[in-house]
Formats: sequence, structure tokens, C-alpha cells
Amino acid sequence: MNEIAQRVRILLATRLKLAKAVEEITDQTPLFGPLGLGLDSIDALELVLGLEKEFGVVVEDRATAVKVLASIQTIAEFIQSQGKG
Amino acid sequence: MEGNPLSHLPHGVSFRFIDRVVEFIAGERVVALKNVTGNDPHLEGHFPGNPLMPGVLLLEAMTQASGLLLPAGSSAVLAQVKEARFRSAVVPGDQIRIESVRRGGLGALHRFEVKALVDGALAAEAEIVLAVAVPGREGLDSAG
Repeated sequence: MNEIAQRVRILLATRLKLAKAVEEITDQTPLFGPLGLGLDSIDALELVLGLEKEFGVVVEDRATAVKVLASIQTIAEFIQSQGKG
Repeated sequence: MEGNPLSHLPHGVSFRFIDRVVEFIAGERVVALKNVTGNDPHLEGHFPGNPLMPGVLLLEAMTQASGLLLPAGSSAVLAQVKEARFRSAVVPGDQIRIESVRRGGLGALHRFEVKALVDGALAAEAEIVLAVAVPGREGLDSAG
């Protein structure tokens, strides 16, 4: 699980060019909204495409994205639940 | 989409940068043509005596073509342009062939990979994201 979370961190750092910000958050920090990393919907699309390419998991729709992309931990859990990673 | 896909373009005639659609698979792929002529009003000033299709208008043409792949009647705005490269000058007499393929999306966002070719050679390319305006719908960033 930690290994998946680490790969998600690398994805955030490289695909969204957030290397510095990603170093400063925990696996539970919200990725969206003013209390977290502050990602926006375009970042979400980028992240969805990155997850598909890197892990082979598909985030079907916006409702799923809201749940799955909440934090590094929720992303890692989703990848694991799909039997990927 | 029935009939001529171009008729669904929301832009007024003075701001249309595609002339014809030659291939169209709804929601997937479109190929559109733009003939660059000396009469194009923006070429008068860009540049006097040295007409050159502005890169931003080439990008606009690529965006308009991509917009045809959205559900008919959608009102959309440009949300992101990535990896845009302009590889060669486009001048009067050139016919631009714009090929746009939809590659993923999320919610209101639709992503396209777009190429503009002149005589088979790549003149420009970009990844374009369009956001379909849905009244009352907020983005993922503001979701509770």
C-alpha cells in the first residue's frame, strides 16, 4: 500500500508538476479545496489520465472522481481495490 | 449529429476559422479544412506585406474543430492548452487540414489531441481541453 501511495506521489509530482507541494502533504491531506493542495477540475482530468496510464485504473465519471481523488490514500486504496498497482 | 456539423458551430461568421468538415465521427474524431486566403482580414495587419496566419488563430481553428465533437448544442469554453507547438509558417494559399481526436474527459471537461497539417506536413499540434458549461454545476475543486 505504501509503495502504491509513493507511486501516486510521484505521479502528482511529475504529471501535475507539484514536486515541492507534494513533499509537504500527508497521505490524508485533501487534494481539492482550499484546505488542501488546492487542485482544480483540470488537475483532476490530468490525474485521471495519469492514473489510467500509470496504473491501468479507470475513473469512470465525476462522482467516482470526487470519492477516489480525495487524497493520496483514497487513490491508493482505489488502485488496490481494482487489483492494480 | 445530423446534417452539416459546421452548422452547429456557435461562432459568428466573422470568427469562424474552419471552412469545411470532411470527416466526422460524433464524439470521437473530426477532420476539418481551412483555406487561408489573402482576403482574411487578420492577415492585413499580421503582417503588412508579409501575411502569416497567427499561431493563436491556428489554435482557435483547432479549438473550433474540436468543439464540433461535443454534444450538439453544447456551450463550451477553452479550459487548457498543452504542448502547443507551431512547426511551420502558414500563409495565403495554404489549405490547413485539422485533425482532432477526443482522448478522454471528466465531467464537463473534454480533452482533444489536435494536429494541423499543410500539404501533409505538421504545421501545429496541441492538446486542448474544452469545458462544457452546465448551469448550476460546479467544478470538482468546489465540490463539497
